[in-house]
Amino acid sequence: MIEAQGLTKRYGEKTAVDGISFTVQPGKVTGFLGPNGAGKSTTMRMIMGLDRPTAGKVTVNGAAYASFHSPLTEVGALLEAKAVHTGRSARNHLRALAATHGIPDARVDEVIEMTGLTAVAKRRVGGFSLGMGQRLGIASALLGDPRTLILDEPVNGLDPEGVLWVRNLVKYLASEGRTVFLSSHLMTEMALTADHLIVIGRGHIIADGPVDEIIARGTKATVRVRSPHADQLAAALVGPEVTVTSKEPGLLEVFGATAEQIGDAAAAARLTLHELTPISGSLEEAYMSLTADEVEYRSDTPIPTNAAVTEEVAR
Amino acid sequence: MSTVTAPAPARPAAKTPHLSFAHLLRSEWIKFWTVRSATWSLSIFFVVTVALIVLISLAIVSSGPNDGPPGPDDALAPYNVAAQLGQVALVVLAALAITGEYTTGMIRSSLTAAPRRTPVLWAKFLVLTAVFFVIAIVANALGVLLQQLFFSDDLKLDLGDPQILRALFGTALYTTTIALLSFALGALVRHSAAAIASVLGALLVLPLLFQIPWKPLQEMQPFLPGVAGSTITQTDAQVVAGWDQFPDGVAHLTAWQGYAVLLGYLVVILVAAIVRLKKSDA
Repeated sequence: MIEAQGLTKRYGEKTAVDGISFTVQPGKVTGFLGPNGAGKSTTMRMIMGLDRPTAGKVTVNGAAYASFHSPLTEVGALLEAKAVHTGRSARNHLRALAATHGIPDARVDEVIEMTGLTAVAKRRVGGFSLGMGQRLGIASALLGDPRTLILDEPVNGLDPEGVLWVRNLVKYLASEGRTVFLSSHLMTEMALTADHLIVIGRGHIIADGPVDEIIARGTKATVRVRSPHADQLAAALVGPEVTVTSKEPGLLEVFGATAEQIGDAAAAARLTLHELTPISGSLEEAYMSLTADEVEYRSDTPIPTNAAVTEEVAR
Repeated sequence: MSTVTAPAPARPAAKTPHLSFAHLLRSEWIKFWTVRSATWSLSIFFVVTVALIVLISLAIVSSGPNDGPPGPDDALAPYNVAAQLGQVALVVLAALAITGEYTTGMIRSSLTAAPRRTPVLWAKFLVLTAVFFVIAIVANALGVLLQQLFFSDDLKLDLGDPQILRALFGTALYTTTIALLSFALGALVRHSAAAIASVLGALLVLPLLFQIPWKPLQEMQPFLPGVAGSTITQTDAQVVAGWDQFPDGVAHLTAWQGYAVLLGYLVVILVAAIVRLKKSDA
């Protein structure tokens, strides 16, 4: 369990994390979602004692990380790919980390095999691809068989097979009762991996709840209605909680009313319906609407959605 | 490891992974030997030191007795010159041992494993101290062996003389301490080139600068790290003879006083590095 209370980090004038409080429960995968620069990495570094909080505190299983007798078996962290000396081989890097806790070399070879690094374990890390670097980072996190895992953007740079592997790994680790906290700026990845979401933007927590709930909160129920009597229908539906927009003649998009309510209203007014389609919201929409005001680096010209997603994956 | 007083738990305590200073030493030992700069720099230091001792001994013997027969000063001269040049390899290696962690990001892995931070620096410090001192002793001992094998007729070192032994031992001590100064500076500034350039500048350039005939500069000259520290590489007779080269009114440091001044620099920089390590974000 990870608990943060009023956690704040300021770098000079700039506030990276602004008094956030949250709890990460064991036994499920908690996603930490937010745009780049929202404060995810800073928060994770503060959990690991690498950055000193300006105010507030954060504990893991009730204690500050630095106070543990055996830090690596309490928390395993992947904070950024390649926090590794480039001149050392992957195996020697892991051996050096394992040695700090007297973890035997047998465990080193075990995590090398688990993360699929066997073929490159004796190669110097300097020549590693981003994906291999990520696998090595995950291997270091698993070294101590920790009760809590903190993974910052673990799928970055991984091939689709690697992404799937991480997804299954974190779900498996959570199913064993461990605490799993992973960050991403890819909402689609979170929708597939996480059980619980903490959404952060510009250093503030925007949403904190089960994934389904976040989706429901961030997306208004939309119903697409096609009718030859669109204008009359719109007039009949509009109310304080219902808004209706129209993109083309005969087509309505209704927010704030269910398909059943619309169908009943149409029948009551004896209006013909040609289509009545509830459109369920996606996490992506929820995320966009939640973080719309909180994105720090925004391009002035809107990018088509596909391009934006491709760019994020490439990163 | 301390004795276990309680009855044996389900798993023996020694087998349960935990952080300890002994484990950190082992980790730093592995780290030291698993980058290529270690074997390269140590080999260069070793070869340069031994080769220079032999070559300079040869040069002294070949040039013949200019003013009388060669004395113990002449026999010791090769060790001083070899130490001045050989130490460059250790200065570079010592700085890289810590700045390499910062430039590659490794430090974050190290501090995640040992979040109290300072033990990491101490473990690294002790590993470097041991390795440097041992290799400096071995290189100088081999130098003595070869020198006495080939040139004992002209350059006789009386190894029963405590002054000679202290000078030889002091040479290894001086080399080690200068390298540790580079390590401490690297830990403070976290930048390889800056640390190496500062140490080499302090050793090679500052003494020249402080020879400018201006009283305040001259008065500080004996306290420069290289000037003060290298007194330990000399016999007391050499140290006293050296005093005559300073202008009147300049402090006279004995061999151990001089070495203590060098240690003082090391302690101050190390403390500053520890404060920075403790206070700042990694």
